[in-house]
Amino acid sequence: MKPRDVFSYSFSAIRLRKLRAGLTTLGVVIGIAAIVALLSITQGLQDTITRQLQTGFATDTLIVSPGGGFGLGAEGAMGTAGSGFKLFVNDTQTINEIENVSMSMARIQKVSYIKFGERVQITTIVGVDFAKYASIYSSTFVAESGDIPPNPENDTVVVGKRVSDPWKNGTLFCNVNDDVEIIWTNATARPPKNETYIGHVSAVLQEIGGFGVVGPSDSAVYIPISKAESFFGTDECDMIIVKLENDDKATIDSTSKAIRNAFDKQVQVMSATAVLNILSSVFSIIELFLGGIAAISLLVAGIGIMNIMIVSLMERTREIGILKALGMKSRTVLLVFLCESVIIGLMGAVIGIASGWVLANIVAIVFRGGGMVMGNQAAGTGGMTITPVLTPTVFLGALAFGVGVSVVFALYPAWRASKLKPVEALRYE
Amino acid sequence: MMRVTISVVETINLRKTYLLGKVPVNALQGVNFKVDKGDFLAVLGPSGSGKSTLLNMIGALDKPTDGKVFIEGVDVSTLNDNQLADLRRRIGFVFQFFNLIPRFTARENVELSMSIADMSRAERRKQAEDLLETVGLKERMNHKPAELSGGEQQRVAIARALANTPRFLLMDEPTGNIDSKTASEIVGLIKRLNEEKGVTIIMVTHDQRLASQAKRVVQMFDGVITREIVN
Repeated sequence: MKPRDVFSYSFSAIRLRKLRAGLTTLGVVIGIAAIVALLSITQGLQDTITRQLQTGFATDTLIVSPGGGFGLGAEGAMGTAGSGFKLFVNDTQTINEIENVSMSMARIQKVSYIKFGERVQITTIVGVDFAKYASIYSSTFVAESGDIPPNPENDTVVVGKRVSDPWKNGTLFCNVNDDVEIIWTNATARPPKNETYIGHVSAVLQEIGGFGVVGPSDSAVYIPISKAESFFGTDECDMIIVKLENDDKATIDSTSKAIRNAFDKQVQVMSATAVLNILSSVFSIIELFLGGIAAISLLVAGIGIMNIMIVSLMERTREIGILKALGMKSRTVLLVFLCESVIIGLMGAVIGIASGWVLANIVAIVFRGGGMVMGNQAAGTGGMTITPVLTPTVFLGALAFGVGVSVVFALYPAWRASKLKPVEALRYE
Repeated sequence: MMRVTISVVETINLRKTYLLGKVPVNALQGVNFKVDKGDFLAVLGPSGSGKSTLLNMIGALDKPTDGKVFIEGVDVSTLNDNQLADLRRRIGFVFQFFNLIPRFTARENVELSMSIADMSRAERRKQAEDLLETVGLKERMNHKPAELSGGEQQRVAIARALANTPRFLLMDEPTGNIDSKTASEIVGLIKRLNEEKGVTIIMVTHDQRLASQAKRVVQMFDGVITREIVN
C-alpha cells in the first residue's frame, strides 16, 4: 500500500470518530501546551534576569565582599560569614595595585528611611563615589532629570526612579531640587538612636528595571561615599566594586585570585560571569523540573492514546480481518494504526504549541499588570517584564515529544492489530 | 505420469483440528479435491460439516494441521506471512455478511483491495467503475453500504473480489443473507462471470438449489467429502 493511501486510510478512520479522536488529541494538546508554556516562560524569565544582570552588573567588574561563604553580593544581604573580617573603604588602595585593575570603589549601604513632607518610605542608602560609579555603570547610573555631579556636595542625594515615583502613576514622592530628610536608626548606639540629615536631591535616575543586584537600583538612594562614612559613623564597607581592564576569562580568573590572596583569602570575589553561570544552572534545574511536571501530563495523554487505540482495535477487529483477507500485510496494518496515532500526535502537538505560546503570553501580560512589582521594598526589584521565549529547540522538541509519545503508546495496540489472525478477526463479532 | 496442467487449487489429505474450549474438534479429516481453471465448484454440506474451515484453508486465511494445500502449484504451508498476504491478493473473497468497510462508498470499497495491491489512484478508479458496471451498480457507486440493499452490497463485494483479477473467487454462502429473489440475481451474476469471463469459482453453501447451479458439487459431511456430482 502506498504511503499516501495508508495516510488517507488512517485519516478516514479518525474522521469516523471525531469526538473520540478530538478528546484524545485534547490530551496531547494540554500536555504539549503545558510544556511549551512553562518552558517558554522560564526561558523568558531567564533571559530577562540575565539581561538585567548584565546591565546592572558589568562583565568587566568584580565584586569583592568580606567572608568566604556563598553570596551574590546582593544589597543588604552580606555578612562577614563568621570570620569577623571587615572590608574598609581604603582597602581600594590595596586592590588598585593589583595587575589588570583599572579602578576600584567602595560601597556602603544601610537600610534607612527617606522623608519628604509627611511621607516616609523605607529605602536603601548607598554610599558611592559618584564619578566612579557612573563610569562603571555608564548605562544605568544616568540621570533622567537633574544632574549627577562628579564632585558632589556633602548633602547631594541621587534617587532611584521608584523612590521618586513609587506608585508609577506620576504622583511623585520627591523630585529634583527637593530637600529630603534621611533617617537611619543606629542600632548599635545605646540607646538606639535615629541619625538624620537633610539632603538635596540633585538627580532622579532613569528607570533601570530589574534587580539592582550590585549596580544601580530603581529603589535605592545614592549619597557620596564620604557622607556615608560620616553619617553612618564607619568606614567599613559592604563591598568593593573592581573594574578590570578587560573581561577576558583569564583576566577575571587571575585577578580574582590575586585579590583573594591580597586579603589572605578572607574575601570572596564574584564575577558577573560566575553569577550568570550559577543562574543558568539554576534555571536548567527549574526547566527540567517544570518540563518534567508537564511531561507527566503528556504521559497521561499517551495512556489515553493507548486506551483509545485498544478500544479502536477491538471495534475494528473485523475490519482488520477484511484488510488481511484482501491481502494487506501485517506490516501495513501496523503502519495504518501508527499513522493514526501520528496524525493525532501531530495535530495535538501543533495545536498544543500554539496554545502553549498563547498561554505563556497571557501569563506574561498578567505578570506585567501587577504582582511582580515590588518597587517599595528596600531591597526589592524594580518592575520585571517577562517576554516568553519559544526557542527552536523547545518548538521542535515539543513537536517530536508529542508525536513520539503518541507513537510509543500506539506501538502495542498497533502491534496487536498486526498480529491478528485473519480467520479469527473475520469471525469476531 | 507427467502433469499437464496445474490445478488452480488442490488439496491433499487436508486435516484441521482445533480446540473448542478444551475439546478437540476434527473439522477436516482428510479432504482431497482439485479445482481447475474455469471450474465452478460448489461445496455443499450442513453446518458443522467443515466446509467453512475448508474455505479458510483454500483462502490461505488459516493453516492446516496436516496435509497440503496447493494454489497454482505452490504449497501454501511453505509461505511466510508476507507471501501469504501476497497470495490473498490473488484470491477474491466473497463473504456471507459482505464485509464491506461501512465508512467507504461502494467505489472506495472496490478501490481498497486495489490500493492494497499498490495500484495507482487513476488506474484503480477506472477499474472500480468498470467492475461496478459489470455487477450492475455503476449508478450507485457513490453510496455507502448502509444505503445499499443486501443484494447490492453483495454485488459490491463481488466487484471488490474481482478487483485484482484473482485466480479464483472464494464464496462463503454468498446468498445466505439476502432474499430469494435477489439471491437468484446474484446466482445469475456468478454464473455469468464463470461462463462469460471464465472466472474460476469455489462456493461454499448449504443451499441445495444454489449448489445445483454449479458445474460440479462436492458434498461434505463430518469433515470428509462424501460425494461428488458433476452437473
